[in-house]
Amino acid sequence: MSVRQLWEGADKKGWAEELNGRTKLIMLFLFAILTITVDNPRTLFLLFSVTLLLHVAAGTSIYKWRVLAILLLLGLWGSMFSQALFFAQTPRTPLLTIISPECPYLGQLTGGLYVYREGILYGAVQGLRSASMLALGLLVCWTSDPRQLLQALLSWRLSPQIAFMLVTAIRFLPVMAAETGEVITALQLRSDSQKGRSAVLQHLPYICKPLLARCLRRAQTLALSVVSRGFFLASVGQRREEWLLREKLCCLVFLGFTVAVVASKIIYLLSEQGLYFGFFRIIYDWTVLYL
Amino acid sequence: MPLYINLTSFDIAQAQLAQIKVTLPKGFVALPNNGWQIANDQGQQAVAMWQLPGNYGQNFDLLYIKPQEQLQAGEYKILVEATCEAWQLKQEISFNYVPSDKTMQVQKAANVVVDKSQYNWYIQSVNLPVDAQGNKDDRAAANVIYVRDTTLEGFRNRMTGDGATNWSAVFNHPATFVMLEMRNPQKDVRVLKFKAELLDKNTGKLVPGLMTAGKVVDEEGHGWAGETGAAGETTAMISLDGKKNQTFILPLYVDYFTVLEGDYNLRVTVSGNGQEKIQEVPIAITKKHNVGLGAVGFSFLCALLALASSYRLPGCIKRIGARGAITVALFAALAFGGITLPTTLLGDLLHVFLGPFSGLVTGILSGVLQYLLIVSLLTLFRAPGVLALMFFVKYMLSGLMFGHFTPLGALSTCVSVVVLEAVLYLCGFYRVQQLGKHYMMLVALLLGLADAAVTFINLEQMMFFYRLYYADWYMALYMLINGLLYSSIGAWLGFKTGSKLQQVMGE
Repeated sequence: MSVRQLWEGADKKGWAEELNGRTKLIMLFLFAILTITVDNPRTLFLLFSVTLLLHVAAGTSIYKWRVLAILLLLGLWGSMFSQALFFAQTPRTPLLTIISPECPYLGQLTGGLYVYREGILYGAVQGLRSASMLALGLLVCWTSDPRQLLQALLSWRLSPQIAFMLVTAIRFLPVMAAETGEVITALQLRSDSQKGRSAVLQHLPYICKPLLARCLRRAQTLALSVVSRGFFLASVGQRREEWLLREKLCCLVFLGFTVAVVASKIIYLLSEQGLYFGFFRIIYDWTVLYL
Repeated sequence: MPLYINLTSFDIAQAQLAQIKVTLPKGFVALPNNGWQIANDQGQQAVAMWQLPGNYGQNFDLLYIKPQEQLQAGEYKILVEATCEAWQLKQEISFNYVPSDKTMQVQKAANVVVDKSQYNWYIQSVNLPVDAQGNKDDRAAANVIYVRDTTLEGFRNRMTGDGATNWSAVFNHPATFVMLEMRNPQKDVRVLKFKAELLDKNTGKLVPGLMTAGKVVDEEGHGWAGETGAAGETTAMISLDGKKNQTFILPLYVDYFTVLEGDYNLRVTVSGNGQEKIQEVPIAITKKHNVGLGAVGFSFLCALLALASSYRLPGCIKRIGARGAITVALFAALAFGGITLPTTLLGDLLHVFLGPFSGLVTGILSGVLQYLLIVSLLTLFRAPGVLALMFFVKYMLSGLMFGHFTPLGALSTCVSVVVLEAVLYLCGFYRVQQLGKHYMMLVALLLGLADAAVTFINLEQMMFFYRLYYADWYMALYMLINGLLYSSIGAWLGFKTGSKLQQVMGE
């Protein structure tokens, strides 16, 4: 499977592929708000597990599972690494000293840099947030065609000109990737350098100008073409995809749930600042236990 | 009985080392104590070395003295001498000694056993937080100390090492007050020393976080004692007045630059005349994240502004025409392919080896290349809204291709658009006739500074929304290198590239 195929939506028609783009985008956005709101490690893990179950239900291929696993592990590792270094809560146990506070200049500047045991665990828990969002984002990405999502945005009154710009950008992404290759080859031929990664790195600073120049020329040609056909400023005739009632209801229920969760959290946080009301005690308890 | 000695120093800029010598009359013996050494065999002379702070400060301590048995009542004199290199002070204190009916036992001397039934004041309870009058607020969680946010002051402290900008303000407003209830069944009358320290909950080791009101700032005037030499603790003197129950309300000072959020044990030690009573209370220290809240508030404001101005985008597209709009789209595609794609894929890989510092490497793309593209585009199509269009298309591309439709991504895009558009508008970028080299150097620098501010807001947002921690020096480093340096370089290269590309535009 090529990298291009990896980021493209699948051809098969499962339940996930048939969902309306609007449903996918709403669910994705609300889910991101949920993961941001929740603090409880068990609930975070539950949300993360839900995204993995959705992948299972959507029949994500083995190759994509591998890619997902690698990206998730790298993301979690990054979060654990940074929090192991910067964990600023007590109790904390230094496992390793990277910069001693007595080290001249750097020690003084940083106040010492350690790897904290509690930070590793904390980073893993907090990393579940971005891991959940990444997993769901990839599910949406793998089960949708960009055009489907664009249709959803258009149905929410996205300006047709901006939609045209988006389509142009998506359409020309592979073309520009191919052009980058051509520019590198041309630069290599001109400089008589050997092929290979080091030669590519050597030419990287000089790629920009020819690529941008090509972009400008292409924009000129394209503009002439679309303006002469009257495409650009005309409103696009939209063939809207049908948004099923059950999907709408699902979105409404999930929206209600997310609003309830966010409201509970806000009410609880306000109570900590002194805005406490006795009749909200059930909400306070629920928030402490699960959120 | 304790002898209280207080030395006030003033008007000398440098710190001085002074020898304090106390000579007792015959029949009295000084007991060794922290910092006090008994100078002669009879125990009649005690010596201590005190570091007197520069400008203004106070040093004080207790020296315990014990009368010999069968000592006659009468008037006695104590001689206290303070000797420094440049000066010497002497003071004689007269006092009347009347023997007590009961002989007090002293614990400090190793061979003396304390009769606790004769001497049993103790700590009844320690409660916090309370206010200066000892009132407990029922809405405030028990044993939780809220400390203020010092992110910005921390930056200053990191650069100058001065600590708080105004120590007097810190000491006028303690983090909280502790209510110490003492039981004194024997109706003892004496002065005791109170000490509060923070202990690590796991190891029980002393950790920094508390302090004593003992720093002086010349500009703010005098009034606080000088350095006490006791780090990581809040100390005070308390006086038992002979009642069976006595309550003390004591301020607890927190060193905002060293204290960390989390769970601790607060160890309260009350000592006097060789006795020491300790009580530990579990507490939590919570920081108010005002800067984080401010950053998020600012982001939402930017989002509202961006939303309110979004109706102008179609107008901007009309102004730059189909050619401009397609160029913006292609530049955004380049930004996506050259920045978002590699930083998403390679950034995670680099994270494995470089951890949080991988951003300094991927920043070459997100800083230099991004600003190169932005400024070269703006050089070609100089109109308000072009930058916003490019950021918007890039964000949407990232969402459509990777499913990265996150609230944080939307907020970051809005912050970048509003801040950068504001900077460009304020520096007259859209109004000047010719983009000269000197002027563009200034614009590049301003864009770098704006990106440093955007970086700060984004990091604060990450900390707020994802509950992550970043050290203040790391944020400063990120702002300096990724924000100011890379973006300024990128903006300058963008101007040079844009100038060259104008020839292509004219073809």
